[in-house]
Amino acid sequence: METIKNYLESMFASMPNTPEVRKAKAELLQMMEDKYNELISEGTSENAAVGTVISEFGNLDELAESLSLTKEVEVARGMESEMPRRFISLDEAKSYLSNRNKKALFKALGILLCIISVSFVIIMAPHGMKVLSGVGMMIISIALGIGFLVYSGFADHEWKFIGHEACSIDMNTATYVKEKRRSFEPIRALCVSLGVVLLVVCWTPNILIPFRYMPLGAGIMFLVIGIGVFLIVYPNSIARGFDRLLNVNEKSTISGQYANGGSYTRPVKYKSKTAQTICEVYWPTVTCIYLIISFLTFSWGTTWIIWVIAGVFHRVVMINCTEDEN
Amino acid sequence: MVEISSDVIRGYNDTMILCILMKGPSYGYEISKQIKTISEEKYVIKETTLYSAFTRMEKNEFIESFVADPGPDGNGKKRTYYRITEKGKEYYREKCEEWALTKDVIEKFIEH
Repeated sequence: METIKNYLESMFASMPNTPEVRKAKAELLQMMEDKYNELISEGTSENAAVGTVISEFGNLDELAESLSLTKEVEVARGMESEMPRRFISLDEAKSYLSNRNKKALFKALGILLCIISVSFVIIMAPHGMKVLSGVGMMIISIALGIGFLVYSGFADHEWKFIGHEACSIDMNTATYVKEKRRSFEPIRALCVSLGVVLLVVCWTPNILIPFRYMPLGAGIMFLVIGIGVFLIVYPNSIARGFDRLLNVNEKSTISGQYANGGSYTRPVKYKSKTAQTICEVYWPTVTCIYLIISFLTFSWGTTWIIWVIAGVFHRVVMINCTEDEN
Repeated sequence: MVEISSDVIRGYNDTMILCILMKGPSYGYEISKQIKTISEEKYVIKETTLYSAFTRMEKNEFIESFVADPGPDGNGKKRTYYRITEKGKEYYREKCEEWALTKDVIEKFIEH
């Protein structure tokens, strides 16, 4: 029966996604299923039953005519021959996902190293002589982090066409990716919640550690922030890979609906280009402000409050800059 | 073995479907099965042909559709049933007459 479903999906893949077409597909599937079940109950082998059902299916030209879709189907075929969509096979999809995994890891590690680089200077700062080695370690950490980030940017070079060129996947691949996404979701949810918890409690070392060791508290805080951000970035970046694959098909056709069933990295809709820019530079700006103020005043014991304020303010900014989906 | 040409039969798919619906409402697969049985397995209607005929005839108000449960052999799934309308019955009788005429004419050119 899977074969029949896949066959029907591939026949309908480039048809426009309208209620009439969806109904036609559902009705045809029902008829095929009835025929298949009867053949099986008569003792026909599964392969023979599938063969009979598919050979007696007919062709879609006739259907397009009666649904007055002849023009749409011709347009779709014309587009197909003019600019064929690059077909992504199941094997390619698998290799894209494993590559995506690697990219996500290096990206998250890169960010982690950049964030914790500050810790070295902060921790070493009060110990006079060690300031220089602290700075040295910070530079090494940043360099490594940037190296990782650059590498992750190039890591999916051969897959750049996904999302840039017109591509297509079939039902089989879509089902595989969806299943992967479904089983990954609990892990992602766990990591992200843990990450958020770490970000929320990141300032506690500042309170728990006695004042005279204050720099140590701030240093640990960056470590905690780094791990928190890592736990959020890594799984979300993997998840975006699933969504990107599931969304390659032309949206207006039947195959454009394979992605349905809950995309959790729903793209945020910004109210304007300015709003988008504000949101994109928000956290980097906060980080800069924090570092500048902290290094100028060297009062690491109090500047952490910037993060708390920024967190609250971020919510306000997001509400004002994005459009509500509902 | 000679097979029925789809060009010839095209104009009469509607007639076959309406004939079956004259006996009472029915759904997709059931209709295609009956066509196969009544034609003594000499004609198997394609699924796309059948569904196209349904949409076309529904648009022309020859048939109406409704959703119902086919009973125990339908795996509990609902099917779209079709029933013939008065207009459909009239159309069916016209087609029967048309065929009688067509058959008469063609018959005269067939050498046995």
